[in-house]
Amino acid sequence: MLKNLCKKAFAKSIWVYHCNTGACNGCDIEILNILTPFYDVERFGIKLVASPRHADAMLISGAVTRPTLPLVKRAYDAIPDPKLVFAIGSCATGGGAWFDTYNVTGGADKVIPVNYYVPGCPPRPEALLFGVALALGLVEKEAAPIELKQMEFPIDMYERNEAWEKRNVIYELVK
Amino acid sequence: MWLTSKIKQILMVMKPGVVTLNYPFEPAPAPKSFRGQPTFDHHKCIGCGGCADHCPSRCILVRDVCQELRVMFYEGSRCTYCGRCADICPEEAITMDTNFQTACDDKDDITTRMELFMMACQRCGRCYEMENTNAIDRIDLKGFRYDNLEQRAFIRKNSETLSPQLLAETEQYARPTTKE
Amino acid sequence: MNQLPENTWGILLVFTNIVLFMGLAPFFDGIVRRVTARVQSRQGPPLTQSYFDVLKLLGKQNIDSVGILPFRMAPLVALASILVVIAILPVAGKATALTGYADTLSLIYLLTLGGVAVLVGAFASKNIYALIGASREMTTMIMVEPILFMILMLGVLKTGSLDLTTVIYGTPTVNYGWAGVVMVIVALFGLQAFVARQPFDIAEAEQEILGGPFIEYSGPNYALFKLYLMLKQMFYAYLPIAMFVPLLKSGSFIVDLAMQMVLTAVVFLLIGLLSATHPRFRIDQALKYFAGLFVVALAAIAGALFG
Repeated sequence: MLKNLCKKAFAKSIWVYHCNTGACNGCDIEILNILTPFYDVERFGIKLVASPRHADAMLISGAVTRPTLPLVKRAYDAIPDPKLVFAIGSCATGGGAWFDTYNVTGGADKVIPVNYYVPGCPPRPEALLFGVALALGLVEKEAAPIELKQMEFPIDMYERNEAWEKRNVIYELVK
Repeated sequence: MWLTSKIKQILMVMKPGVVTLNYPFEPAPAPKSFRGQPTFDHHKCIGCGGCADHCPSRCILVRDVCQELRVMFYEGSRCTYCGRCADICPEEAITMDTNFQTACDDKDDITTRMELFMMACQRCGRCYEMENTNAIDRIDLKGFRYDNLEQRAFIRKNSETLSPQLLAETEQYARPTTKE
Repeated sequence: MNQLPENTWGILLVFTNIVLFMGLAPFFDGIVRRVTARVQSRQGPPLTQSYFDVLKLLGKQNIDSVGILPFRMAPLVALASILVVIAILPVAGKATALTGYADTLSLIYLLTLGGVAVLVGAFASKNIYALIGASREMTTMIMVEPILFMILMLGVLKTGSLDLTTVIYGTPTVNYGWAGVVMVIVALFGLQAFVARQPFDIAEAEQEILGGPFIEYSGPNYALFKLYLMLKQMFYAYLPIAMFVPLLKSGSFIVDLAMQMVLTAVVFLLIGLLSATHPRFRIDQALKYFAGLFVVALAAIAGALFG
């Protein structure tokens, strides 16, 4: 019974550890912004703590550069279960503009498992608040993959080849 | 003295009251000039590939599946929202959206995939101008482009004809390394 | 037969004390956080936030990065010491079953034991930030304990006995004298250091030394330390009320208790306002401040002795 109570209390009080892995500090400033009185995130019970051992969630900003790679792993291991990882900004979600350069690992999910992504360069404080509210279950996810087609048409050669190779079907179009 | 100054301080901070924005419970729209995610309009896009060439994070990828079908794939996970694609588009098919509520738990949620019908020229199949001496522009005019959509990698290989071997090679694309 | 009802009432009071303090301490901590937030013009966490914090910490994994026994025992010793202090505390004038077994000096010993447990825990974590936090905590304890001792010593001198009920509730019954008034002022000036808040939260300075002595503690261990800190805060806010505000004497224990709790809430409001409007002192500034306070308190004791 105490375990259930503790699980319910987890969503109401998440303590955050902020880890900057070589970011330009834009995302860090936005993280600091949501701790200011205007966007106050402490009303959800979220507090910034200095030690990963006290934290529940880790906010990663920055494409994980090579020198910070083992340190991010150590900080992630130092956080006690249950934990959440948020990747803030386009550098942490996919490596940003440097995803295939020599010094950059390319995004936080290549190093540690990430639960929530907040894209943006840097993400607006409202966007960060939206990510926090999504994690807490207060809002529904609004992003979804978009598919746009100019017309619906079966291209004869393409469909025929694909049908034969992938699905082992002979495809003929009625003329 | 110390006591009077502290009392003055407390009276001073009580004046603004509570200034917190009630954000997730009430909408707080961004200003109109906010530069968010690029939105593609498939009614206007002609498939020129200018946005793919100018993107600094190489996050717009192009693949010509066959002569008539060109797939353009925008990957939002490394987009820096710079707006160069919208700037360069000749048909103004890309607009920078003001929606910032894009947090997700899967990187596939912030992608856009467009399938475009490329009309073929009646005479030769692909149309290009003869007077071009710039090597880079000539590469672009060669017609068929083969980025790797599965691994989201920008390869920028062009060829004059649709070559199934090049298409197959992109599926096993491995980043070049200096290791032996 | 006469003894038996007294004793059961006393044992019941022990449990009531513990339940009351453990139940109200996170609420009062929530009051401080809310007041701090309102002074900073923002909406702050809900008043019950500290309950959720402690519950959440209890449900986390207990990472034991150093394997030695003092690391695991320190939070238990700290919480046990403050619970014993609460168990022997005569609340609203009624002594509990254990009050007869302790007196003023052992109260001071038990309070110091909690601080020593924090120090042991900090030294046991092999971390340089914990070491710095521990040395700061030691300095804070050294400069703050004499003030506590002198506040209780005033009660001892005024009432002439070391028994806990008489000392704590006896001072308002005899005449205050100017020594009593000076001591009230000393207690108010030293309040922020007793409850370890700005301007004197030198030990657990979050922005400077990453959490101070508690840096390596996680999960349930940290929950016990947090409970210890909250209970200590409530005790030190309750002590001036108990010592210097005369009991309502309305005849009903519950009404007296309720009045004292309301006054404690007012003291917490004051603590919140003070901690939101003050910066953190450096160690040498705090030492000078407490040296001055020590001299004033000594003068009040001298006045009580010879006046």
